[in-house]
Amino acid sequence: MVIDVTGIVIDSAILTTWGIMAVLSIFAWLTTRRLELFPGAIQTCVEGIIAAIDEAILAVAPDHGRQILPFIASLWIFLIIANLVSLIPGLHSPTREISVTSALAVLVFLSVHWFGIKTHGLKKYLHHYLTPSPILLPFHLISEFTRTLALAIRLFGNIMSLEMAAMLILLVAGFLAPIPILMLHIIEALVQAYIFGMLALIYLAGAMQSQQLNAQE
Amino acid sequence: MEFNVSTFVLEIINFLILIWILQRLFYKPLLAVIAKRKDFINQALADAENLKLQAETLRHDYENRLKSWEQEKQSAMQALQAQLSIEKTTQMQRFQDELEQARQSAKAAQALQQHQWEQQLERQALQNATRFAALLLKPTVTPELEAHLCQLLLEQWSSLPEACHTSFKNMKPKEALPIKISSAFPLTENLQKSLQNQLEALVAHPIKLSFSIEPDLIAGLRIDLGAWVLNANLQHELVGFAELVDASQSQ
Repeated sequence: MVIDVTGIVIDSAILTTWGIMAVLSIFAWLTTRRLELFPGAIQTCVEGIIAAIDEAILAVAPDHGRQILPFIASLWIFLIIANLVSLIPGLHSPTREISVTSALAVLVFLSVHWFGIKTHGLKKYLHHYLTPSPILLPFHLISEFTRTLALAIRLFGNIMSLEMAAMLILLVAGFLAPIPILMLHIIEALVQAYIFGMLALIYLAGAMQSQQLNAQE
Repeated sequence: MEFNVSTFVLEIINFLILIWILQRLFYKPLLAVIAKRKDFINQALADAENLKLQAETLRHDYENRLKSWEQEKQSAMQALQAQLSIEKTTQMQRFQDELEQARQSAKAAQALQQHQWEQQLERQALQNATRFAALLLKPTVTPELEAHLCQLLLEQWSSLPEACHTSFKNMKPKEALPIKISSAFPLTENLQKSLQNQLEALVAHPIKLSFSIEPDLIAGLRIDLGAWVLNANLQHELVGFAELVDASQSQ
């Protein structure tokens, strides 16, 4: 489904994204409106999710974990739901669109520089492209481009191929045949969300902490 | 599958909005409550640590107090043991003294009783000896012996004590003084006459004689003269010997 509003095309990926945003907002509001010191079952569950994400982030970036937690946690939560949403009949994963994965990859790319500059300042941050030798500057620049492109293509390729494989098996083998593929879809969706978020976390932590290591040296 | 700029831009905006929403509604409150709980737990741990330290201090104090109590108890026990030992020694000494005293008393009582038994036995032996002597003498005595004893009495009449003579002379009966003369055998008339003459001379008053036979006297006379009794017979002599021996042994 594609809606064209004064030149702005709103396709199914955007609509699904809005739906996911609405569900997450309602879920967040419902689960956090009455937080207590001694939690119930639901509060324990959501606190467990946040605590697990927080621990994973602090394990990689112990000094700036809380600073990048909203971005990384949102990536993980959104990607898990976005990757799994295609299990609902009639819906498709937004991440099977290259535009969506590219947008997320670009956000990661921009966040890396944003948090790097915010942490160390522009001059020091740009200086790290010249370390350990200015000769490596082109390689740094190529690396920045390629890893962003890899993020986008990896997620897009995996999710799109999963959906397409399930569709082809459904067409060829019948109604119940794609169930193993759907189970593989769940695992693959979780793995891809984890990989995307973990790579983003590593990139961010590298940008924020490599300067500190250089300064300490 | 194609790249769509609108989708790309809208997705960036959507994700930024999602981050903002989740940060406001999800992360911040949850992290706040987690931090609050951590503070609460830390405070509880700190309180528990303080309580533990206080408990350790109290335990240390109590252990020291128990040690001091143990030492006091040991000292008190030692003092008590010493006091008990002294008391035991004193009591034992006192008991031994009392026992020795009782032993001595019993010994003395036993000796006294033994002495009394011996005296009683001696007295019985003397009585038996007197009785045996009397039995032995009875078959051997004769009226001649008795006459001889009477003659002996008459001969020794003057050797009576002066107090006896004085007492006899001071008697002033209103009528004749009755005098009873007992003998083991019948007296001859001459002997009776001699006795009457001697007695009248002794008393210096009229007298009235009466004679009787008493075989227990064995041989000899017994004269009952008022409050006086004059014995000149073997039975009295034997009793007198026994009493004399008894008196000499008692001394």
